[in-house]
Amino acid sequence: MDTTELIRIGVYGTSILLILIGLYAVLTKRSLIKIIIGLSIIDGGIHLLLIGIGYIKDGTAPIFSPGSENAVARMVDPVPQALVLTAIVIGFGVTAVALSLVIRLYRHHNTLKIDEIKNLKW
Amino acid sequence: MVGSPVLLIAIPLLAAFLIPLFGMVWKESVRIVPGLVLAYLTYLSASLYIEVINTDTIVEIIAGWRPPWGINLVFSPLTGFLTTIMTFMGFIVWLYSYRFKRNVEFEAAKKYFIFLMLLVAGSVGIVITGDIFNQFVFIEIVGISAYALTAFYTGRDSAEAAFKYLIMGSLSASALLIAIIIIYSQLGTLNMAEIAANIDNMNPYYRIIAMIFFIIGIGVEAEIFPLNGWAPDAYTEAPGPVGGAFSGIVAKAGIYAMVRMMFTLFDIAGPMKILIVIGLITLIVAETSALRQEKLKRMLAYSSIGQMGLVLVAFGMGTKAGVFAALFLMLNHAITKPMLFLSGSFLTFNTTEKYIKQITGMAKKMPVVSIIFVLGALAITGFPPFSGFWSKMAFLSAAADENLLFIMATILIISIFEVVYYFRVINRLFFFEYDDKISVEPHKPGFNGMIALFVLAFIVLMIGFYPSSVTGFIDLAADDLLNTHQYIDKVLQLGQTIIQ
Repeated sequence: MDTTELIRIGVYGTSILLILIGLYAVLTKRSLIKIIIGLSIIDGGIHLLLIGIGYIKDGTAPIFSPGSENAVARMVDPVPQALVLTAIVIGFGVTAVALSLVIRLYRHHNTLKIDEIKNLKW
Repeated sequence: MVGSPVLLIAIPLLAAFLIPLFGMVWKESVRIVPGLVLAYLTYLSASLYIEVINTDTIVEIIAGWRPPWGINLVFSPLTGFLTTIMTFMGFIVWLYSYRFKRNVEFEAAKKYFIFLMLLVAGSVGIVITGDIFNQFVFIEIVGISAYALTAFYTGRDSAEAAFKYLIMGSLSASALLIAIIIIYSQLGTLNMAEIAANIDNMNPYYRIIAMIFFIIGIGVEAEIFPLNGWAPDAYTEAPGPVGGAFSGIVAKAGIYAMVRMMFTLFDIAGPMKILIVIGLITLIVAETSALRQEKLKRMLAYSSIGQMGLVLVAFGMGTKAGVFAALFLMLNHAITKPMLFLSGSFLTFNTTEKYIKQITGMAKKMPVVSIIFVLGALAITGFPPFSGFWSKMAFLSAAADENLLFIMATILIISIFEVVYYFRVINRLFFFEYDDKISVEPHKPGFNGMIALFVLAFIVLMIGFYPSSVTGFIDLAADDLLNTHQYIDKVLQLGQTIIQ
């Protein structure tokens, strides 16, 4: 097993671990803020996974310029990087909306505990 | 050519961000501009749709990158059909909410219309895009604006409903992103047509895992069973017209995404069974829950989920007749459910709880609105002279063709449930004496809201008496969905193309 494979397995393993940690936080934590942190950790894991699939050993930036024509084989795939930028922005937006909802909930109920906010059925 | 499909997304997005600027100049414009935009979108969508039917599918290439490299928009008989319904319903929702609650202040109205614009832009985008990552982005746009619209009223438990929706929505969006990653790592493309053409080269295990993540990812917007816990709360706590927009626009986009994924992307026979099973469970759970609801909007929300289940069962048959019935059911639901939400929120005007008992005897005080509500209830339960009858008929005959007796029996029993809970409401509305201790104070419904209701009632009656006025369109849309090869060929450079 060469280093490329090891790095790949390491990246995938870390990202899946992050996703599972985040899922655990969302499902078991009783504080609204911790749930949002869990969502962000899931996002982080997915972004790492997304970057991981574009990995090439000794890769270079995918930019064509004079003198770099023979580097095409080593260029990393630009699509996952474009996707991860978009995904980060979306994750930021969702987190902002979630935090503003938490502020509203806190003003309404004076608590952040999910057990005490259940006027609706959860 | 009157315009190109990209305008259907670009104009509402632009309008959403310009509304605050218009509002600085003239306060009334935050209410008027969205209406003009939605009217134009309906016109554009309808005229493009007619052009597509008469000539050929429009494939629009964005920024000069041809498929499979760039993003492309597909305006076909199917997507045009759905886009036209969705933009039209957006216009009706605007018409209803133009003066909605005259006590809503300028700031609140501004935000409401901004998010309504984003909701329409995102839903249209989900339907016409030809790229799965682009679809993910539009699903998130719809999601964020739907969370914000759910939390519109500050006094109620709306933030709680919105938070619940947000947790589910963002978890499922993560699942969708994982599905996209799996597909990209296996096939190296994000274009739907190219994925569909190469799906057989994919390792079957990865294919099934990707499909499961896709179903989880789209299921929240499509309101399928384990993922629809947000819907009753969100529909109850959101303003009335927003409930109409969710059922008429967002749920349609979600169902489309799921069906396009099942029929075109993963073109295998097995998953259709999954659609039938998911649909039946959704239908049975939702309709039995609807039976014991105390709140009017919550009951309507469960009924809406049940209808989505019915649509999925019809798609799951996978035959031409089944797809035809499913699209017909979608059309009827898109018109009737907003009609029920809008007239229902006139009947329970200005109450926060919206209990069914609060409309006791309202028929004598607000006869026209009550009659429209009854019309909607009859249409959705499938009584003969109204639109719902024909779609349920199409559904049953499609099931009969396939000898699916179990499904037919289930649908007939569920129809009895529907009749029971709708007639419970109608009974209170018409045959009880008005009691000012429990009933809502009657009020004069707004002029614009009445026009919106009359337009919807007219369409329900028109489809009811002349079903042939729409069946031709639905037939073309069903053909379009079933013909995967044609979709692939047209997108990969054989259709009527616009390059931007």
